[in-house]
Amino acid sequence: MTTMMERPAAAPGSAAPKKALIERLNLFTALGLGVASAVVVWYLAKTFLPQNTEESVIKTREDQVVLLAMIAWFIGFMIGIGAFIGPFRWVLGRDLSHDENMFYAGKDQGIKRYFRYTTDHKVVGIQYLVVTIIIFFVGGVLAMLIRTNLGYAEGGWLHPQAYNAIVGIHGIVMIVGTIVMITGPFGNFIMPIMIGARDMAFPRLNALSFWLVVAAIPPMLSAFWLGGITTGWSAYNPLASQAPPGMDGYIMFICIFAISTMVAGANITTTAVRMRAKGMTWNRTPIFIYGVVASVALALPAFPVFFLSQIMSALDRSLSSTFYDVRGGGSGWLYENLFWLMGHPEVYVILIPAVAALMEMAPVFTRRPLFSFNLAIMGIAGISGLSVLVWAHHMYVAGWAPLLNGPFMLTTELISIPTGMLFLVLIGTLWRGRLWMTMPTASIYALLWNFMIGGITGIYLSDVPIDAFLHGSMFVTAHFHYTLMGAGLTGALASLVYWFPKMTGRMFDKTLSWVSFCLVQIGFNVTFIGMFLVGLAGQPRRVEAYAEVFSRGNLITTMGAYTIMAGMLVLLHGVISSWRSGAKAPMNPWFAKTLEWTVPNPVPLENFEVLPVVTSDAYGYGKAKS
Amino acid sequence: MSDLETQKRPPVWKRKDVQQTGILWVIFTLIIGYVVSEFQVRTIGAPASSVMATTIQMMHVFTWAAAPIAGLVAAMAATTLLSKHHYGDTPPEDADHEIRNSPRIAAAWIVVSALMCLFAVVWGMIVLQQDSESILDSKAMNINVVGQQWAWNFDYIDNGTVRSEDLYLPVDKPVVFHVTSKDVVHSFWIVQMGIKIDANPGYVTETAVTPNKIGIYDLRCAELCGLLHAYMQKKVHVVSQTDYDSWIQNQGGQA
Amino acid sequence: MSALTHAHSNPHHEHPDVVGSRNRLGLVLILVADIAFALSVLFVYFYLKGQNVNDMWLPAATDDQVATTPVSSTGAWYLTVLVGVGLLTHTYALKGARVKNQTQLVLGSGIALVASVLAMVYQVMQMSAAPFTITWGAYASCYFLITGLNTVHLALTVFIALGNWNRSRLGLYRADHWHVTIVRVWWTWMFVSSALGAFALSFP
Repeated sequence: MTTMMERPAAAPGSAAPKKALIERLNLFTALGLGVASAVVVWYLAKTFLPQNTEESVIKTREDQVVLLAMIAWFIGFMIGIGAFIGPFRWVLGRDLSHDENMFYAGKDQGIKRYFRYTTDHKVVGIQYLVVTIIIFFVGGVLAMLIRTNLGYAEGGWLHPQAYNAIVGIHGIVMIVGTIVMITGPFGNFIMPIMIGARDMAFPRLNALSFWLVVAAIPPMLSAFWLGGITTGWSAYNPLASQAPPGMDGYIMFICIFAISTMVAGANITTTAVRMRAKGMTWNRTPIFIYGVVASVALALPAFPVFFLSQIMSALDRSLSSTFYDVRGGGSGWLYENLFWLMGHPEVYVILIPAVAALMEMAPVFTRRPLFSFNLAIMGIAGISGLSVLVWAHHMYVAGWAPLLNGPFMLTTELISIPTGMLFLVLIGTLWRGRLWMTMPTASIYALLWNFMIGGITGIYLSDVPIDAFLHGSMFVTAHFHYTLMGAGLTGALASLVYWFPKMTGRMFDKTLSWVSFCLVQIGFNVTFIGMFLVGLAGQPRRVEAYAEVFSRGNLITTMGAYTIMAGMLVLLHGVISSWRSGAKAPMNPWFAKTLEWTVPNPVPLENFEVLPVVTSDAYGYGKAKS
Repeated sequence: MSDLETQKRPPVWKRKDVQQTGILWVIFTLIIGYVVSEFQVRTIGAPASSVMATTIQMMHVFTWAAAPIAGLVAAMAATTLLSKHHYGDTPPEDADHEIRNSPRIAAAWIVVSALMCLFAVVWGMIVLQQDSESILDSKAMNINVVGQQWAWNFDYIDNGTVRSEDLYLPVDKPVVFHVTSKDVVHSFWIVQMGIKIDANPGYVTETAVTPNKIGIYDLRCAELCGLLHAYMQKKVHVVSQTDYDSWIQNQGGQA
Repeated sequence: MSALTHAHSNPHHEHPDVVGSRNRLGLVLILVADIAFALSVLFVYFYLKGQNVNDMWLPAATDDQVATTPVSSTGAWYLTVLVGVGLLTHTYALKGARVKNQTQLVLGSGIALVASVLAMVYQVMQMSAAPFTITWGAYASCYFLITGLNTVHLALTVFIALGNWNRSRLGLYRADHWHVTIVRVWWTWMFVSSALGAFALSFP
């Protein structure tokens, strides 16, 4: 605590050193301080913590050391990046001056601002974009390892422990990647411009939410060296209490990430509610804004539950409390309930903004108004509301409350009604439009196809007797990849191509976008149709080897996965080459009507010279018949 | 849905795109229903219990119920794709209408999806009710199942104190499994019989089935349970009552 | 689309009421998350109590250790009262700010700061005085979870109350006092959350 007090306290002595402290902090001081604190605390803990008693079954001390070191890393990193300067300056009553705020916004700092606690929402958006790409790259490599291992029936070349670790890390990396993939880059960069604001409601919280994600990643990746996350991403207890210290990395990661989503959720929601331009009434607000707000607002009550479940997991591991240990009166069902209380809203956190982004693009590429704006809002609201009432459909066969299976089947199947509304909005907008074929346009069709398969297989799974057969099988894996990847990621990739011109000032290479789109979509469907096949035939999830009968399906899946990989590499090449040397983008390459296309490239620091006044919604395409 | 639209404004019937969609709708519905059910039949294989037979039947009905919806969306999507479209760096002209809404279509869509949802729920509840009643069957034989990393143990409590690592079941006799675990969560899944229940440490959960075909089936653990989860599987032997009796006597129990 | 041409040339000079209401909404949204967290803690408590797996909610005596006896909830209710005092004095300070009474503002926020420190110290004392450790069954684990959550909340409260008092003292709230209004939202939630904890602990 004292070091934290000293830093801001030392600063405000005179004008010159005051700026100096802010200027001195950046990603590298953060890394330095974070690593140094972690090493020091690790050494101290290793030296001074009491030895394990003989009867302690779980390796308590090791977990204490690892957790303390990770907490030290976290605090050190956040001090080093300058996250605590604002709060301490508030306590000291020396609020940041206008010049300091402009410095924080990254004024005149060029490339350096991307490595600092920069509050400009456009910088944060780009930072999120790069980090999301890195996250997907890591998750994708792990996915390829999994599929390569499963290429032959008994030919698994990975040790089961390594395999389980890879499955767990792939799961959580991809979940986090898909959670931030739209609200991170596009929610931050595009959303404030779209509503005609100069920045987010709380710019410093915006920077905080991003740097928390950065601080969270090293603990999780350290799991590679700490025995891995061998429990799958769901980290069920009591299996998690057996897992190696890699599990502590997972716990720490979830805790930090939960704070990040909370901060981002409050910030983005407040921005959308309070900062819209004059005249932008709720029925003139673009549908993408609704999608983003529903997503982050849904995360607000959902993630704290997950946060708590992991804190209790950490206490069980490090202090031998007995929340999940049945020998001490704990319950594994408690964990499952808490986990899925977050886990189910979370899939809609991923899905809703992706669908909303495509709804935003649909009128642009069909040159007609969005079909039934109200139905779209009802759909989003209905899904958000119901999603917190369906968690126990993940626990139909857990046996925790057989009498509740009926009610949860009801709520789960009710979700198909608002989901159907989203389908109607999209297909209705395509209907009788003047189709402008681009990669985002094709993505709308891909989403309809993939999400239809994901949705109908979801109806099978929502039915308790069918779930008793399919639960825990590859069928489930294929189903949720169809929704999260087939629908979610498709929307995110379309958003990337659509908003790339505004974010980078350059057009995304057209040919590369089409090549990657085709490879990814074909590969995706091959992969997961094959996985449906082995799932129906009875292959469980998360297995490192399988019976001979599943060989054909798995081979199909692996071949499809390599096709996806090829497509993703093409996309990555497209991002890099277009960003570096793509054609310069005009201000409004898609001739769209939302506000983000009314600002020049590159977008100036405070977006708008004069704040716009909105007089109609953004979907005024089409010619009225006389 | 297009029926409603057309009833309201008769000329729409004659629109080329509507007719095309109508034809495609029928074709796609049939293709989707047929292909998906065949896909299921071929991959799932023959059921070994009435529970599984019902499950397969439910999947077929759901498939055929969902096929018209999927078929309609596919037909509309195909029709728009078949219409004239535009490539290039500048947009085409605006569409020749500015329709923003159609309350009738929206209402019809909601009503139809609500009815389908209701149908799925009600039918699911009925089957669920039957399945839960079978657990209470007093004439059924009882087997205690204990999962542990990474093996299953079976206590044939109705036949004395027989504990075995093999699962033998007499054909056509209802059986209730009382499942628990020694360490972490496992899931007890007899694939071809369509039953599954988690094995939780500290709790006993129940599931019931009546195997109706002699044969050898698969028991697999369906919840990740650590290192050798993939190998936590066993064969389930469904045999005639006589064979079962002699097997259980071999194991030291009374028939 | 028309455009404004004046009045917003400097976006940092928004009306304090606009900024205040925006900040209050932000805090309320963060509290949504915190409330979800606190309610989950109650869920954990009552779920484990209801399940009473292996009769280990309150383990009976064994050879190695004595039976776990629940702590009386009186202490937790005293704590709630203490936090309530903080809330009331902070409200008093807010009233002072509203009528531009600097003395009342500084006095009220000062006492609120003292109340928050006392509450935190009292909570830590209760934790260390518990007749069991966190490993003694589900009730013991839950007890430390609830009191631990209170401690973290109160530590944040001390930080906030300190800032609030210091800023009052420096006269930063002479022009506008939306900070004080928002801090009261936090105090109110602290009062409710400690009451929730005390409520749970009343049913061991």
